[in-house]
Amino acid sequence: MWLQLNIDFSFNSSFISKKSKEKSLHKLPLAVAGLALIASFNTVNASQSNLGPSITIQETSGEKCVLPSEEMRRQHPDILKHDRIKTLREGVRAKADGGVLDGSLKQCVNCHAIKDDNNKYVRIDNDQHFCVSCHQYAAVSIDCFQCHRDIPEGSGDFHALSNHKDINYNAVVPGTYSLTVQDMANIAPEVHSDDN
Amino acid sequence: MTINIENEKQQDAATKVETSRRNFIFGSVAAAGLTVAPAVMLYQTANARSLSDFSLKDGASSKVRLGMLVDTSKQVDWNKSVEACNKEHGLGNEKDSRDDQKTQYIRVVDVKNKGTGYTMSLPVMCQHCEQAPCIDVCPTGASMKRPDGIVLVDSHRCIGCRYCMMACPYKARSFVHEVLTDQTENTPRGKGCVESCNMCVNRIDKGQEPACVKASNGAIVFGDLNDPTSTISALLKEHGGKQIRADLKLNPGVYYQGI
Amino acid sequence: MKKLHFLEVEGNTKGFYTFLGLFSLISVIGILAAYYMEHNGHWVTGMNNQIIWGTPHVFAIFLIVAASGALNVASISSVFAKTPYKPLARLSGMLALALLSGGLMVLLLDLGRPDRLIVAMTKFNFVSIFTWNIFLYTGFMGIVGIYLWTMMDRPYNSLTRKAGMAAFIWRLILTTGTGSIFGFLIAREAYDSALLAPMFIIMSFSFGLAFFILVLMGLYKYTQRDLGDFIVNRLKNLLGVFVAAVLYFVLVYHVTNLYSADHRGITAFILTDGGIYTFLFWVVQIVLGSLVPLALLYAPTGKNRTMIGLASVLIIIGGMAQLYVIIIGGQAYPMHLFPGMEVSSSFYDGVVASYAPSLPEVLLGVGGFGVTLLLVTVAVAVLKFLPGSLADALTDPHSK
Repeated sequence: MWLQLNIDFSFNSSFISKKSKEKSLHKLPLAVAGLALIASFNTVNASQSNLGPSITIQETSGEKCVLPSEEMRRQHPDILKHDRIKTLREGVRAKADGGVLDGSLKQCVNCHAIKDDNNKYVRIDNDQHFCVSCHQYAAVSIDCFQCHRDIPEGSGDFHALSNHKDINYNAVVPGTYSLTVQDMANIAPEVHSDDN
Repeated sequence: MTINIENEKQQDAATKVETSRRNFIFGSVAAAGLTVAPAVMLYQTANARSLSDFSLKDGASSKVRLGMLVDTSKQVDWNKSVEACNKEHGLGNEKDSRDDQKTQYIRVVDVKNKGTGYTMSLPVMCQHCEQAPCIDVCPTGASMKRPDGIVLVDSHRCIGCRYCMMACPYKARSFVHEVLTDQTENTPRGKGCVESCNMCVNRIDKGQEPACVKASNGAIVFGDLNDPTSTISALLKEHGGKQIRADLKLNPGVYYQGI
Repeated sequence: MKKLHFLEVEGNTKGFYTFLGLFSLISVIGILAAYYMEHNGHWVTGMNNQIIWGTPHVFAIFLIVAASGALNVASISSVFAKTPYKPLARLSGMLALALLSGGLMVLLLDLGRPDRLIVAMTKFNFVSIFTWNIFLYTGFMGIVGIYLWTMMDRPYNSLTRKAGMAAFIWRLILTTGTGSIFGFLIAREAYDSALLAPMFIIMSFSFGLAFFILVLMGLYKYTQRDLGDFIVNRLKNLLGVFVAAVLYFVLVYHVTNLYSADHRGITAFILTDGGIYTFLFWVVQIVLGSLVPLALLYAPTGKNRTMIGLASVLIIIGGMAQLYVIIIGGQAYPMHLFPGMEVSSSFYDGVVASYAPSLPEVLLGVGGFGVTLLLVTVAVAVLKFLPGSLADALTDPHSK
C-alpha cells in the first residue's frame, strides 16, 4: 500500500507541475495546496506503522507450509482448487508437498485455526478466524465454509501443531499408502475397529 | 485385453509426466517466482492426468468397481447402519427443516407383498449406478462418478437445480434446505446443494470400509466387484444377488440378497 | 393493405407510469421473495425432498413455454407469409423475449445456489438436457433479437423471412427441449412418455397465443388505439384450434398411459384419486381452462372482447393448472422401488407426497409475470413495436 501511494504521488506531482507551467501560473497556489494535501496523506501513512490487515493466524514453526509463506499467500486458492479437483473427482489422496502435508482445506484449518482467550477455536462468523481476518481486509468473499468445517474437529489439542515435522502424517492419513482396494475388500472389519 | 494393456502404457506415461509436473509445481514454481503461470499449470495438470492406477496416491482406479452386497436375510438392526451413517457424515443437524426436508443418505425400507403377506426390511442408499441418471441430467457435471464407480456430488459445482433428484429412481438424494454449521470435517455439506451417500469415500480412501458396512455386523459386504477374488465377488458368484429396479438397466453397484 | 405506421407508446402519461409502477412493484416483490428463500434456505418453502420442484417451476415453465408460443404470430407472418399477421409480428417477437426473461428469472432465482450461475455458464455436461436448454434459451434470445432487428430496421427487411424461419425452427427445438426436461426422466411414471415434448409444443401455441391476445387487447385499450375485429377474430379462432389441439394431446397422453399396465397407477392417480391434482385436472384444466374457453370463443358472442379476454385468462389459468398437475402431481405420486409391493420408510417411500405452496414461492412466480409485463411496458414506449392503428380499414384486405 505504501509503495502504491508513493507511485501515485510522484505521478500526481509531475502531472500537476507540467500542467501548471504550460497553462496558467495563477493555479500554482492550488497545485501547491494539492501537493501539500497529498504529502500530508503520505505522512499519516508513514506515521502509522501497521496499516495492513491484522491477520490472526496460527503460525506454524515448521520450515514451511505446503509452500513457503510468501507463495502460500499468493497461491493458496489455486492449490486448494487444484487439490479439491484431484481429491474429489479423481480420488487422489497424495500429499501436496510430496510427503507430509495435505493440500486440503481440512489441513489448513487443522494447522492454522486460532483460539480465543477462552482457549476455544474461533468460528467463521468471527473476524478473528484465520481466513476471515485476511479475506475481510482483501475484500474477497469466500463460500468455502458454507459447507466445510471451519475449525478442527475433536479436542483440538491433537491439532495444535507446533512443528509439522514432528508428526508422522503417514501413520494417520494415507498418502504413501499402498494398500489396494482388493486388499481392503479382503480384510476383515475387525482390523479397522480403531478407525474412529 | 489388448486395449487395456495399451491404456496402461499410456497411463504410465501420463503418470510420469504428472509426477514431474507435481514436483515442479510444489517445488520449483515457488522458487522460480512465477506469478501468473501457476494457476494455468495447475489446471493443465488437473485435466491432463490419466486415471486408473491401483495406488490411491495416484487416484481411484477405473479397474476397480466398488460395490456393496446387502444380505437382507440376516437378522440385523438396519437402524444401526443408519445411525452410523448419520454419525459419520454429521447428518440430522438441521434445525429449521421439516422432516420431509431433512437429509437421509440411507434409509430402511419396509417391503410387503400384498398377495402373500411376506415382509422384509432393507437399507436403501445411493445405488452407485454404472449408468447413473443423476450424472446424465446434471447440467454442470457436479454429479459425477469416480473412476472406481462411486457416484458423488461435487458441491463446488452444484447449483442446486435438483434435476438429479428428479431423475434418481431410488430417491437417494437430498437437498440441503437450510444453513448448516458444525459439519464434520470429512463431509462438507451446505445450504443449496444436493447431497447423497458417497460410499464414505473419506473412509474408503483411508483403507476403511463404509460406516454402514462396519455397523451392519457383516450383513453388508463392501468390496471390488471387478475383482473375482474379492469377498463380495465370491459371495455374489456363490449365492447370486439382485439389484433394485434392475429393469431400468442402470447397473447399480449395490446388490441385495433375499429380495 | 394500407400502409401501417408503427409508433411508440407515449411514455409521459399517468397511465404509463401507473403500469410501470405496478409491474415494477410486482417484480420487486418477486425478487424480495426469492431473496427471502435464498437467505433462509428452501425450508421456508413448501418444497421438500419429495416435491423437488414446486410452484416456482410451474410459473417458470409456463412462462418459458408461453414465450415460444408468443412467437407464433410472428412466425405465421414471416414463415407462412400470412400478411394479416404482419402488423403484429414485432409485438410477437418482443413478447416472446419478455416472457422468456420472466420465466428464466424465476427458474434461476429458485436455484439452491443462484450465486453460482457462472458455474452453469462455464461448466457444461452436454449429455444433460438442462445444458441444451441453456443454449436453447440464450440462442432464442439472440435469434429473436436479430429477427426483430430485421423487422424494425428497414435496410434489413429483406432478411426478415430468413430470420423468421430460423426463429421458428429454433422455437420448436426449444419447446421440445423444455418438454424433454420431463420426458427423459425414466424413473417417474408421469414423465416417462415421448408424448410430452410434442404436447409441450402444442401447449406453447395455446398459452402463448392467449397471453399475446391479452397483451394486445390491453395495450390497445390503454393507449386508445384502434384494434379492429378483423385481427382479433382471426387470433381468437386460431386460439380455439390450439385449445382443442391441447385437449386432444391430453386425451392421447392419458389413454396411451392407461393402455400400458405399468402406467395405470399414475393415470388413475391423476384422473380419479389424486385429490387436489384430480380436482385441478378435471375442474380447472379441462372444464375451466379448455371447455369453457372453447364455448366462449365459438359462441355467438365470441366476438365480444370481454369474452375473448375472459377465455384467454381462463386458458392461462387452465395452463397453469395443467403444469401444476404434470410437475407437482407427477412428483407426488410415489416411485416404485419394488413394483407391485407395498413399501414404506422414513423417507416417504410408497406414500403420496404432500405439498402446499408457500407465499414466497407464489410471489416469486408472480414476479416472473411482473418482469415480463414490465419489459413489455418499457419496450413499447422506447421502440416502435405497435402500429398506431390496427383498425379494420388498415388490416382487412376486404374492408371498404
